[in-house]
Amino acid sequence: MVQTEYYVALSAVLFALGGIGVLTRRSAIMLFLSIELMLNAANLAIVAYARQWSAVGAQHALDGQAAVFIVLAIAAAEVAVGLGILVAIFRNRVSTDVDELSEVRA
Amino acid sequence: MTDMVQLASLAPLLALVGAVINGLFGRNLRGNAAGIIASLAVGAGFVLSVMAFLGVRAEGAVRVSFGDFLVAGDFNVGLGFHFDQLSVLMMMIITGVGLLIHIYSIGYMQGDEGFPRYFAQLNLFVAAMLVLVMADSFPLLFVGWEGVGVCSFLLIGFWYKDLANASAGRKAFIVNRVGDFGFLLAMFLTYKAFGTLDIQAVNAAAPSFAYGAAILTGIGLLYLLAAAGKSAQLPLHTWLPDAMAGPTPVSALIHAATMVTAGVYLIARTGGIFANAPTAAATVVWVAVLTALMAAIVAIGQTDIKKILAWSTISQVGFMVAAVGAGAYWAGIFHVLTHAFFKALLFLGAGSVIHALGGEQDVRRMGGLGRKMRVTGTTSLIATLAIAGVPLLSGYFSKDAILGALLTSGPLGAYGGQILFALLMVTAGITAFYMFRWYYLVFAGQSRSSAEYERAHESPAVMTVPLGILAVGSVLIGYVGLPAFLAPNLIQEWLAPVMAQVDFDHLSTANEWLLLIGSVVVAAVGLGLGYFVYVIGEGAAARRIGNTPLANASRGAFGIDRLYRGLFTVPGEGLAEGVSSLDRDVVDRGLAGLAGSVPLLGRLMVLLQSGYVRTYAFAMILGVLILAGVAAFMGVFA
Amino acid sequence: MVAFVILAALLLVAGIGVVTLRQPVHAALSLVGAILALAAIYVTLEAHFLAAIQVIVYAGAVMVLFLFVIMLLNVGRTRTPSLTWLKPAAWITGALSLVAVVAVVFVVQRPLPEFEVINTALRGGNADAVGEALFTDHLLSFHLVGVLLLVGIVGAVALVQQSAPAKQAQSEVSAAQPEDAPELVAAGEGN
Repeated sequence: MVQTEYYVALSAVLFALGGIGVLTRRSAIMLFLSIELMLNAANLAIVAYARQWSAVGAQHALDGQAAVFIVLAIAAAEVAVGLGILVAIFRNRVSTDVDELSEVRA
Repeated sequence: MTDMVQLASLAPLLALVGAVINGLFGRNLRGNAAGIIASLAVGAGFVLSVMAFLGVRAEGAVRVSFGDFLVAGDFNVGLGFHFDQLSVLMMMIITGVGLLIHIYSIGYMQGDEGFPRYFAQLNLFVAAMLVLVMADSFPLLFVGWEGVGVCSFLLIGFWYKDLANASAGRKAFIVNRVGDFGFLLAMFLTYKAFGTLDIQAVNAAAPSFAYGAAILTGIGLLYLLAAAGKSAQLPLHTWLPDAMAGPTPVSALIHAATMVTAGVYLIARTGGIFANAPTAAATVVWVAVLTALMAAIVAIGQTDIKKILAWSTISQVGFMVAAVGAGAYWAGIFHVLTHAFFKALLFLGAGSVIHALGGEQDVRRMGGLGRKMRVTGTTSLIATLAIAGVPLLSGYFSKDAILGALLTSGPLGAYGGQILFALLMVTAGITAFYMFRWYYLVFAGQSRSSAEYERAHESPAVMTVPLGILAVGSVLIGYVGLPAFLAPNLIQEWLAPVMAQVDFDHLSTANEWLLLIGSVVVAAVGLGLGYFVYVIGEGAAARRIGNTPLANASRGAFGIDRLYRGLFTVPGEGLAEGVSSLDRDVVDRGLAGLAGSVPLLGRLMVLLQSGYVRTYAFAMILGVLILAGVAAFMGVFA
Repeated sequence: MVAFVILAALLLVAGIGVVTLRQPVHAALSLVGAILALAAIYVTLEAHFLAAIQVIVYAGAVMVLFLFVIMLLNVGRTRTPSLTWLKPAAWITGALSLVAVVAVVFVVQRPLPEFEVINTALRGGNADAVGEALFTDHLLSFHLVGVLLLVGIVGAVALVQQSAPAKQAQSEVSAAQPEDAPELVAAGEGN
């Protein structure tokens, strides 16, 4: 079996990529896609550690996977609401450029 | 009797009360009330001084102690007054001549808006001067010393709204300060050498040191520095001619009769030290004689009625200091006494003239005023003859005493006493010459400005009566100091108990007469030369040599003021300017920059609030990374 | 191991695609690929149930929703450059932090338990195993998530409602044109 560290490293790469995407993308939708990528990366890390610590405390072996399940559900709800917000904002605008939403400034 | 003397301790207090009343309530007083209050205060002081004189005459010196003054560990200086023959004599001079000048001032300062302030400051001066001569310890003397310096500053710059007057006051104070520095150092050395600052104790202990000991010489030279500052001797004489910016009665009282004699008093008081330090004493005499000669030469070339008298004062004080330096302390004090009368008279006469002419002070625009101002003219003539050394007037006797002392002083012999005697004789002749010139240009001959002449009128009685009294004094006061070989020398006998002993050669009677006649000859030569140049030649000779180097040096006071300006004033102003610009440019700008950095910081902060979500996200991510890094570091490696 | 390497490579390519691709639809599809690869990785990690859920919910529902919105908003116009410094800054920061994390992870290595032990504990991450954990230890969280989903639904619907006066105006305007039914007009205003 593959060591946990590799899975976690992979998760870190994905997370970093997601973060870069959040910062780099100018369209709101693409930004959201990057956030989803980050969420998935986190899930991967949790599942990898769930396997690592499964031998410890038998009753709690599956806590990690249960947590991922819940995160998944939350992500779905978040996407629904988030996309609803995006639609509400950008319905009447020409472009979905995030940089144009700069009214909250000093 | 002792009580009578002790009562005299109140004299400075009375003057102080007068000053306070005039100072605080002067504005509310009507008419001449301020002047009358001040005169009463000084008059009461005079009465007390006379009482003290009688008391000391009967029973000798009296000491009054008021307790502790300065106490610090082993250092203990008491507060007290010491009434002996010297101090009561000085007190009488100060309050007596002071009273006459106060009365005169009521007339002179009439209508001046600073009338009460003037009398308050004048009273304050009298109080300080009295403390100076009554003090039993050096620190207390120094209190009076400083006090008269402050009052001199205040009174010179009395009409302070004119910057020139204020500057003159400042100059006087600063030059005096150099002398005060000498006084302080002398006090420190005195305490180190003697372990006490009590004047009587110091004088008594002085002979126990080796004759000519270095420390005594050092102390003596430092007291000379102090005296030079206060008495306007070389090199600290430059303030006195400028001090003529003050009201004329002030010049009469402070810069003729009393404050400038404080230096003479100081050296006489510390006679014990000087008698045992011949080098210091000789230095005193050399400085004094050179000052006297230089000042006399400068007086010839002056054109301001008061400046001539100012340089004359410097010269005459030089005579006094020379006497006390030579060891004839009584002779120096004697000349203080006579000079107080005729110099105050000369100044008050000048004041009378200035008052009558509405402020004119240039002698080239005067002339023939003696015909219009009879009392002023007559009294000024008497004073002129007295200062010139005309026989049977007071100045003759006191000058003769000084000249005799220089010639016969034992310790001085090794330091060129004969040369100094000759120089001082020449100076006496020059004195007669320039005083004749002064009198002639102002009061005699033809008027050179008819407008002024028409305006002139005699001064009111409140001013002329003091003139008369001083004139009488100028004539008669000399008789207390008749040459010892002819008649009892009252003043020498009176002061003998307090004066240190110095050896004097004994002149034969023939030589004594020679000296007396020689003084007459010198005075006659001086007056005669003046008559020749101004009356007969109508000033032609003076005009002919008017542009020679000596004449220019005379007019320009040997360029000493310019020298000091270049040496001290300009660098000082440069330093002040430099520090000021440092303060302005460095400190102020620095602080402003600090203050300005806050808005700058604010503006920088504003840049962070760009409104762009992505930058906010970046900042958040960075923050989280840093936090996570710190936590990981502490968790993993710590 | 081989499986891991292949799946990891796929995942990475898909991730880069999400971040880099210009066209939004391409990026969304790239994310779908990532999700599927991730599901396969879950299988290797003895989390079979999660893999199934990942495919059904994430790829099947969430990404479909994404694609709907992308079509609706017509994303992808040209834009003026702004905050040009952010792109390089982000890449550098990302690279650096990645290096740091990986280094930390590989410093503290722990040995993996025996497969038998894992299998016994996880029971392959089956539905009944996960369900057992959810419905006993984490019942409260489970229910709360349910409530959250309800809130999400309500919120999403509320967000896209029109304000009432505009609706009235719409109705009046549409009344003048009898051929258009008011409801159809009110459903989507402006595109």
